[in-house]
Formats: sequence, C-alpha cells, structure tokens
Amino acid sequence: MKHVTIPKLIGFGLIILLTANLVHAKGDDFGSVVKMIEQFYNVKHQGIPFLARAGMKVVGTAAKVKGGTAKRLAEVGSIKLAVFEDQEFDGDLIRFRSSLNEALKQTWIPVVQALSATDEEQTYIFLREKGDKFNVLVVTIGQREGTVVQATLSSKNLALLMKDPEGAGKSITNEATIFDNE
Amino acid sequence: MRSVFKCISIIPVLAVLLVIVSGTSNAQEPRIQMSHLDHLAAKASETVDVNIDERLVQIAIKVFNDKDPDEAHIKKLVAGLKGIYVKSFEFDTDNQFNAADVDSIRNQLREPAWSRLVNVKSKRDSNVEVYISLSGSNINGLTVITSDARELTVVNIVGPVDLEKLAQLEGSLGIPDLGVEITKPKTKNEDK
Repeated sequence: MKHVTIPKLIGFGLIILLTANLVHAKGDDFGSVVKMIEQFYNVKHQGIPFLARAGMKVVGTAAKVKGGTAKRLAEVGSIKLAVFEDQEFDGDLIRFRSSLNEALKQTWIPVVQALSATDEEQTYIFLREKGDKFNVLVVTIGQREGTVVQATLSSKNLALLMKDPEGAGKSITNEATIFDNE
Repeated sequence: MRSVFKCISIIPVLAVLLVIVSGTSNAQEPRIQMSHLDHLAAKASETVDVNIDERLVQIAIKVFNDKDPDEAHIKKLVAGLKGIYVKSFEFDTDNQFNAADVDSIRNQLREPAWSRLVNVKSKRDSNVEVYISLSGSNINGLTVITSDARELTVVNIVGPVDLEKLAQLEGSLGIPDLGVEITKPKTKNEDK
C-alpha cells in the first residue's frame, strides 16, 4: 500500500501543476493588477466610458491611438487602460512592489521598476511575448492618480522600449491617457 | 517488481544530487545577488531597478534592426550577454546606506572568481569599483559599484563584456551613465 502512494502522489502533483498553469494562462493579468491596486490602496478605477461621461475628449485619444501626430508606440486597438484619478494612494511602496512582482512573476518579465519617494511616484514596466508581438504592461502610481496600461507592441516599437525602457514606458502611458485638446 | 520499488527509492537521492549540481552551476555564474539592497528603497528618494535577463537580451537581439545604425550597434554589443542588472539609489541626505550594504555586494566579488580592476576612476567625484569575472582568459561578467554620500549604484552584467563595451552601452537598456574611466598606468617617472 505504501509503495503505491509514491507514484500516485507524483501523478497528483503533475496534475496540480498542469492545472495551475492552465488556469494562470487563462487569467487576465491586466484585470488582476487593477484589482490588486484597488484592494491595496482602497481606490477605484475609472474606465474610458466614465471619462467620456466626465466630458473628456476620448475621441481625441482614439484619434491619437489610431495615428495622430504624437509618436505612436502601441498597436491600434491593443490598449487596455485603467485610470485612477483624484484618490489617495497611501501605502507602503516596498510592500506594493513585492505584491505586484509576486502577482506577475509567472507570465511577465519585470524590465524596469522606478520608485520615487520624493514625488511618491512608482513606475513598473513588464513585458511578455505574444506570438510574434509583445505585450507591455505599464503601471504608474502617483500621489493622487494612477494608470495601468497594457498594450501590444510591434518588434520595431519594442526595440524603442528596450533602448530606453523608462522613456518608452512613459510614452506608452502618455499615449493612452493624454487627451488631444486641439 | 522489487526493482521498480528500488528505482523509486533512488528518486529522492537523485533529486538531492540534482539540486546540488544546479546549485554549483549557479555559483559559477557571475550573476550577483542584489536583493540585500532592497531595504534601501524605503530611505531612498529615487530607486531604479533594471532587470534585463537572458530572455530579454534574446528579445532585444531579435527586435533590433540591422538597418538602423544605432540599433545594429547595440545589437552587436549585447550579443552573447546573459543579463544586465542595475540597482540605483539616490538619497536626499548623507549616509543613508552603510559599509555593510556595500559589503553585501563586495563579499560576492571575491577572488578567485572575481578580480578588481585598479586602473579605473570616476569622472565625477564618486567612489568607483570595477570587478571582472574571468572564464579562462575571457571576461564572462562585470560588476561596477559607484557610490558617494548620497548615491549608490550597482551594475552587474553577465556575459562577455569589458569597460569599453559598458561605456558604449551607457544610456541604453536602462544602464545609467556611470562615469567610469580607465586611467593610464603610472610610469616610473610619475611615481617619483
């Protein structure tokens, strides 16, 4: 009886590992990160429709994403965006960083993480391969606002991100959130 | 049937051996652990953590365009590298980190695996220490520690790299401007 349990255990272990990986692969990391921020900082995000109701120029953003005057990094239609506005981001920077890294470590590669205690600002850039393209996830949290942007990059634009990770990360966030006032 | 159970009983022994072997091969890799410095982020005014592991280096090589002179140049420089890791801290006040913090890095850079280069100095007014890891006669790793009263930066590059290459990579791939320069060895007359 004792001898039978070892292979069984190995079998169970393998099944658990495979199932865990499948569940993880199906998971929406963007949504998980947004939820994590909400729970950690006790804040609520606003999506684009809310901003539209607030009278902001979402059409301008779409125009920019579709090929406006600004340098376009993200692929058309690939942007997922969550915005946190005018809320208190009061919490331990270091603990938040650990939680975020822990949540994403299976599928995303952390490229750059920058914390500014002076400005109470945090920027995290993660990357993952998706076929012949790449997904970038940029999390930016300031004193009273935050953004989570996930976008698909072509190889060409990934090269820009690799050359200057911090600069390109900021460009992607700006691209997704700055509204045309023209 | 008995032999099957014998095989099963060997599995834990093999697993232990595998762990020991993989641990040994990691120890030879010139990748240093910088997590001891993470606690400084709580005191620092600015913290930057760059983590370009082998997967990202491969991705960079794949996406950099040979027709773009700048990208082609970086591609050539990073070919063969297995990782670029940077931790940088800036402080608003003096002495926020201590010798033990720097020693947590220095202790990993001991001979015979690592050799300290003596003919280097900082273009700025910082302390600079450069260590290389050799595999035979080839460099397979480089670590630079720059520090002053309000700043501590550690750069660890795994793979074939030298100071000249590092200088050319500064400003790309998250590598900061370290301001390291190679000094000429003193002649006998200068020593007098």
